[in-house]
Amino acid sequence: MKKIMTVCPYCGCGCGLYLHVENGRITGTSPSRAHPVNRGSLCVKGWNAHEFATHPDRLKYPLIRKGKSLKRATWDEALNLVAARLGEIRTKHGPDSIGILSSAKCTNEENYLMMKFARAVLGTNNIDHCARLCHSSTVGGLAAAFGSGAMTNSISEITDASLLFVIGSNTTEQHPMIGMHMLEAVDRGATLIVADPRRTQIAEFAHIHLRHRSGTDVALLMGIMNVIVSEGLVDADFVRRRTENFDPFEEELKRYSPATVEGITGVKANDIRRVARIYAMEKRSMLFYAMGITQHITGVDNVRACANLVMLSGHIGLPMSGINPLRGQNNVQGACDMGALPNVYSGYQKVTDARARRKFERAWRKKLPVNPGLTIMEMMDAARVGSLKAMYIMGENPLMSDPDLHHVRESVERLEFLVVQDIFPNETSGLADVILPAASFAEKEGTFTNTERRVQLLGRAVGAVGESMPDDGIICALAEKMGYSMSYRGPYEVMEEIALLTPSYGGILHHRLSDGFGLQWPCPDSSHPGTPYLHRKKFAKGLGTFITVEFQPPDEPPDEAYPFLLTTGRLSFHYHTGTMCRRTAVLEREEPECLVEINPADAERLGIRKRTRVRVSSRRGSIEPRALVTGRTPEGTVFIPFHFMEAAANILTNPATDPGAKIPEYKVCAVKIEKIGT
Amino acid sequence: MKNEWILEKNHLSYWLRQLRKERDLIGPLRDEGKDIVFRSVEQIHEVILDSPASLPSPKEFLIPQYDPMLRLKVAGHELAFPSRPQPVSPDVHMKESFGKKRVLDLMDKKKRVIFGVRSCDISAIRLLDRFYLKGYRDPYYEQRRKNTLFISVVCNNPDPTCFCIGLGTGPYLEEGFDIQLTDLGNRYFVQAASAEGIKTVRGMSFLFSRPRKTDLDDQYEVFLSAKARFHKRISLESPRRMILAGRLKDDFWQKVAARCFECGGCVYDCPLCTCFTVTDRRYPDGVERIRLWDTCLFKGFTRMAGGILPNEKRVLRTMRWYYHKLIHYPETLNKFGCVGCGRCAITCPGKIDMATIATEIKGLALNGEEE
Amino acid sequence: MKNIYLPVSGKIEEIIPQGRDVSLFRVRTQMPLDHAPGQFFMVSVWGAGEVPISVASLSGEDNTVELCIRRAGLVTGAIHSLKAGDPLWLRGPYGNGFPLDVSRGRDIVVVAGGIGMAPLRPLIKWFMKKPEDVGQVTLLYGARTPDEIVFREEMEDWKERGINVLLTVDRADEGWKGHVGLVTGLWQEVHSDLKRATAYICGPEVMIKAAMGELFLFGMPEERIITTLEAHMKCGVGKCGHCYAGPRYICTDGPVFSYREIKNYSLLLSR
Repeated sequence: MKKIMTVCPYCGCGCGLYLHVENGRITGTSPSRAHPVNRGSLCVKGWNAHEFATHPDRLKYPLIRKGKSLKRATWDEALNLVAARLGEIRTKHGPDSIGILSSAKCTNEENYLMMKFARAVLGTNNIDHCARLCHSSTVGGLAAAFGSGAMTNSISEITDASLLFVIGSNTTEQHPMIGMHMLEAVDRGATLIVADPRRTQIAEFAHIHLRHRSGTDVALLMGIMNVIVSEGLVDADFVRRRTENFDPFEEELKRYSPATVEGITGVKANDIRRVARIYAMEKRSMLFYAMGITQHITGVDNVRACANLVMLSGHIGLPMSGINPLRGQNNVQGACDMGALPNVYSGYQKVTDARARRKFERAWRKKLPVNPGLTIMEMMDAARVGSLKAMYIMGENPLMSDPDLHHVRESVERLEFLVVQDIFPNETSGLADVILPAASFAEKEGTFTNTERRVQLLGRAVGAVGESMPDDGIICALAEKMGYSMSYRGPYEVMEEIALLTPSYGGILHHRLSDGFGLQWPCPDSSHPGTPYLHRKKFAKGLGTFITVEFQPPDEPPDEAYPFLLTTGRLSFHYHTGTMCRRTAVLEREEPECLVEINPADAERLGIRKRTRVRVSSRRGSIEPRALVTGRTPEGTVFIPFHFMEAAANILTNPATDPGAKIPEYKVCAVKIEKIGT
Repeated sequence: MKNEWILEKNHLSYWLRQLRKERDLIGPLRDEGKDIVFRSVEQIHEVILDSPASLPSPKEFLIPQYDPMLRLKVAGHELAFPSRPQPVSPDVHMKESFGKKRVLDLMDKKKRVIFGVRSCDISAIRLLDRFYLKGYRDPYYEQRRKNTLFISVVCNNPDPTCFCIGLGTGPYLEEGFDIQLTDLGNRYFVQAASAEGIKTVRGMSFLFSRPRKTDLDDQYEVFLSAKARFHKRISLESPRRMILAGRLKDDFWQKVAARCFECGGCVYDCPLCTCFTVTDRRYPDGVERIRLWDTCLFKGFTRMAGGILPNEKRVLRTMRWYYHKLIHYPETLNKFGCVGCGRCAITCPGKIDMATIATEIKGLALNGEEE
Repeated sequence: MKNIYLPVSGKIEEIIPQGRDVSLFRVRTQMPLDHAPGQFFMVSVWGAGEVPISVASLSGEDNTVELCIRRAGLVTGAIHSLKAGDPLWLRGPYGNGFPLDVSRGRDIVVVAGGIGMAPLRPLIKWFMKKPEDVGQVTLLYGARTPDEIVFREEMEDWKERGINVLLTVDRADEGWKGHVGLVTGLWQEVHSDLKRATAYICGPEVMIKAAMGELFLFGMPEERIITTLEAHMKCGVGKCGHCYAGPRYICTDGPVFSYREIKNYSLLLSR
């Protein structure tokens, strides 16, 4: 019996766990007691993380489409075909006719290689990944305000905080181990403020729970800041010494009196005042947010408003003081850090910056494209109009995860060539011309970066299933076939190249990660101990910038025809498009079907009872889940988890995006509900 | 003659090396300077002799988290390319002609020796024996139990979460172990109780000598010092009586349940929790029936036909866990379903572990609040 | 070592539809399966899984067992996709079965709802086989709609053989001329002294709860009010833990319980 220390493949907490191996087979999971994030605990997904890796559905050999069906092929056949077709399309239509989706489920090294493949091998900046759909607003919003778009503090600091302000995060269910630290902080006397339209589990522990209307976050935050200013609670010293652009911002604030904000958000003016006073006056204040803030057409503004709030009160740049976006995927932080984005190289070095570009050109010995590439949503639009001809998708499932699925399917179907590289067949691979089987987290080496910027080493527990290969090996083999040499002895050599080209990862090398539990970037050189909290003494960009924001209603508010507000999210037993968790017996047993959460008052009006089958329709399509009647969801709002292909919530969601970050508004769209069962 | 010996510490490695020739030797090892975990021992000198509570408990060697049971072989039957995980579409399940199929028993017959187990865990295994081997005998458990030798160590290094001392399940045992070691500094006091344990020591008698009176005194001193090291002294009797007397209001359990993350950790880590689920996995050449750890804390655990959830309310499930350990275990096996190993206290993210809740209930009893 | 989890293969001889989504499967095995009314088998389809199904027939000499199965989930769906001649795997029988000593010389009231008729059918067959052992047998059977009544033709035969069969439905259709309403609304049609009779009950939990409580109020002694319970089960042999009810396991301590045994466990019926 071997036990191999590795990192959980589910959410961004980055918990340390052991995989148990008996006779070459993974037989169990257990938590690490010493790990600073999970400290001997795991959530139910972590406890069951051993199961999907050995599931018989795993893709075991390459498949090539022959007419309607996919036929087994050798690696040579599959890679030759991919290289030839991508080459042809590039020659005929130019490199920008190809789009790449990298993966927040893959390692840093793999994401780095994928972005190198896109830029150096194909010659396009059309590379993006699911961070577009979760935290692109953070990456943009916080970078503009502070110069760095990541969680400013460490998870282990939470228990010592004296105030936690959680907005738009269902923490105990979506980041359970962070929720654990929050609960402990509350036990130790910290004040907890939760702003969420739904009464989530963490909200039950809140001293104040603000149930604002979905999509009114800017107004709520502006209202809080209005009180902070008008009652003289601003940390004027901090604002003067560490920030800029305060005056125009202050001017804008005046429009958001508590009474006005009450009208917009539905939150009592008095509660707004209470929260403002508590937040501003308490020290050791940590603000947390997640998808409830980012997934709006005003996502970037929501993030900016959060950033303004922490600067206004001077709650940043110290331990237990900061702004903490909770990243959803195990390596979404890393995939962004590695530049699997259309506008930046690794370490957020802009492709439009000639100096940065020259650095990468010299290192990669290849002329690189100048203009930023397409985001996920733009790629789908380009495919629809025919300017994007081919896509290479690694470890993503846009046919479940993107908004307005009918539209996405049409777009993907129009592609001339689609390569999907994954560990399981999924909705997207059903349309693929070539499927490349990848190794799972348990079968490879490399690093994941968790939400607190901790770069951690994976442990390889077993060999890859069947003929599958780790993603980095596949990318390198494909690059070779396309005439560009990518030769590394292992992920550690890739990391050396990353360190060389990426200032914030300058001192992050595999051999340094194996003792202890990884390193938190920025870690500029090989003697640097890592950075537990950001913006100490000065912001990454110098002065913090107040960016004026303005409340804007959601793109598609409920109306007469579609009277309910639909908000989407996750369940604690499931994860995203379900490829892993729905192949895990206990997780699937717990939540085997899609249930739409509806408030008892609405349910009664519509004659809907527990488990009544209903039709939920938006302007884009309809699904038929059963009802779950619960006061957790406020009146006039319904909640649908997006894990279930049988009733995919994203058939309904609105593809309208934030103009800056291009993040779609998953959290608000208008739907109607009809009872169809008894 | 008593089955008691002395083993010089110098001889421990040699002894373990000999045991390893016939069995997989599993012991507590430090993992790259981080955690101490039980796994196969490669370098015997690296075994940790006073390890903290292992996660999960040694039940993992008797009822593994993932345990293949049976396999139905189907030759030449290629299953359709699956486009989704579950459910199995009924038209592709195996259809075999009557009386010709072959079901293989996937019984694990590996022989193991688990070194460095704590007394509380041995106490738990003795209860597991009574559970799994009464009435219908569980063959997978029985086979592994027969093939596994436990060498336990008198626990002189309890975690702050440990409370075996109030339950009589540790830190040392008078009986019921295979082989128990007491660390006397430069030597071990070795006791064997089971037939397999006695046979194992006698088979290598040249390594062992007879104890002298002073060894017995030294051993007793270790017992005393071990007992003195406990932070927690918790009786489960008072919570049991409070529950039986109906003195806990619903409100109490509501508050406990509100803190449950439904991670299953307390059950997975508990040396006495036994619940499992069974699932079929379809491979191209057959079907494997496996069992996996499961927990009563999940609402789907009792789901009935048509999606009815008898325990939909979380509070019922949380109460169930405590009732099972504090009320039902004593009713059926005359022992608490808890050995005070403290693992739930280590693993519970909501801090509603047995020790915490038992202490809270006791506090209510003392204050008379729930009268 | 005997492996209690190893199923034996049986062959489906006949599938007889019984109302909507319900069929009676007659399965033949190579070895006799000695089962009693109230017991159950763990029935499996490889690749789908195992479910507990109560026996719907009397143990005979021809190595067959009849199982009345409603299509409700993954495994029962798979079973319903099978045809005569296909294999079905069984292990068991498990559980305690109905106590028959409490019925000797007494009038019998059998109360069934929906597919809850299945485990009670062999009991009725037993009473018909040994009419000298018992007094008047009355069957109160309720279904949601007339087309969900199971064993409808057989019930005609039972009537002819002296059983007082009373049917009711929740919602009548055009052809229905019988009672409409709950089975517990039919007590006045029972021509037995309930204080002295024995009752066997099976159906949805709400129905069981109501029937047991009302019979007790009519003065029927607790130990003669008998029911059989349904539960999620994975093993059938008291190990997997899914079917717990208070300190008991429905699989090994039940599935048949008297009102006396379960009334104090509020956990049982609301589990």
